[in-house]
Amino acid sequence: MFFHIIGVEADIFKANKELAERNRMLFKKHNVKTIDVMGAIGSGKTALIETMSHLLKKRGIRVGAITGDVAGDDDAKRLESIGVPVENINTGKECHLDAHLIHHAIEHFDLDAIDVLFIENVGNLVCPADFQLGTDIRCVVVSVTEGDDMVRKHPVIFGTSDVAVVNKIDLADAMGVDLKRIEEDFRKIKPNGILIETSVKTGEGIEKLMDAMGL
Amino acid sequence: MHEFSTAQGIVETAIHYAKKNKAKKVKKVFLEIGELTFLNVEQLKFSYDILSKDTILDNSELVVEVKSATYKCMKCGASGKLGKIENEDHFSIPVFHCPKCGGEIEILSGRQCFIKNMEIEV
Ligand SMILES: Nc1nc2c(ncn2[C@@H]2O[C@H](COP(=O)(O)OP(=O)(O)O)[C@@H](O)[C@H]2O)c(=O)[nH]1
Ligand SMILES: [Mg+2]
Ligand SMILES: [Zn+2]
Repeated sequence: MFFHIIGVEADIFKANKELAERNRMLFKKHNVKTIDVMGAIGSGKTALIETMSHLLKKRGIRVGAITGDVAGDDDAKRLESIGVPVENINTGKECHLDAHLIHHAIEHFDLDAIDVLFIENVGNLVCPADFQLGTDIRCVVVSVTEGDDMVRKHPVIFGTSDVAVVNKIDLADAMGVDLKRIEEDFRKIKPNGILIETSVKTGEGIEKLMDAMGL
Repeated sequence: MHEFSTAQGIVETAIHYAKKNKAKKVKKVFLEIGELTFLNVEQLKFSYDILSKDTILDNSELVVEVKSATYKCMKCGASGKLGKIENEDHFSIPVFHCPKCGGEIEILSGRQCFIKNMEIEV
């Protein structure tokens, strides 16, 4: 028996990275600004996209969306009802969107007819972070109803996202959540990072969030 | 939670290289993953064992090395391993600014997942 070592150097995420790069080029070619919105179920991803879409439309900016969900099309319907063209992706068992799914979803889109594309990722705070989609901005959303230790528990996703959002601040007092605490945790791992506190209910912080995303 | 699909990619790739190198048997597959991935090593190994049954990888071992992430500072140009602090639960967590000057950093590595080499029997 002869055992020997062979060099392999094979990247398991290669296919996804290459497709993400292709998506990125395509978005660039059609001049579409793209935002990957990640975060746990119920943190307010759809609500934020709705509110921002409203405001953008008022300014004459054309918005489109891709909604990812394990099953169903509730988010897609919500966005469609406010006049946003939507492509829905059901991921089934998968816990995240990937570049391949986005690649196919945008085949159905007239990219020349939109200026901004929101991609709502599957409700999961962890897995989507491993899969680049090819967007300009990666945004992570948490809400105060999840407690004030989210940043401490998930430093990597906050560290590697471009914009972090703490949503539902209108509920902070009721939930007994100290926003300063969250901010401090965030500053410890990313002093120069962007952290925006928002409330879809009161509208607080929404304009700031849009500024931070360059919208 | 995507350990299973990642393990599928690992198994497919390893089988491809085993065949390409005319292996009779595979003893070990050496995998490197970056510390910024969300892959759980135990779950990865568990999935690998299930998926390698009845293939040329049967009974082989997936050896996983978790590598520190690296950065380059966009302000002072320093580079190296990402800094770490201990959180309140005494876990070591990465920090995303330059440990030298506090400036903004670019992450150079830490999200990789690749098969480095394999030990095969020919
Ligand atoms: N009070 C309050 N409720 C919110 C806010 N944002 C979202 N919600 C509510 O939280 C629930 C989940 O929001 P949704 O956008 O569906 O979350 P998603 O699963 O992340 O897309 C809905 O009932 C929203 O109306 C907020 O800022 N304040
Ligand atoms: Mg939603
Ligand atoms: Zn520096």
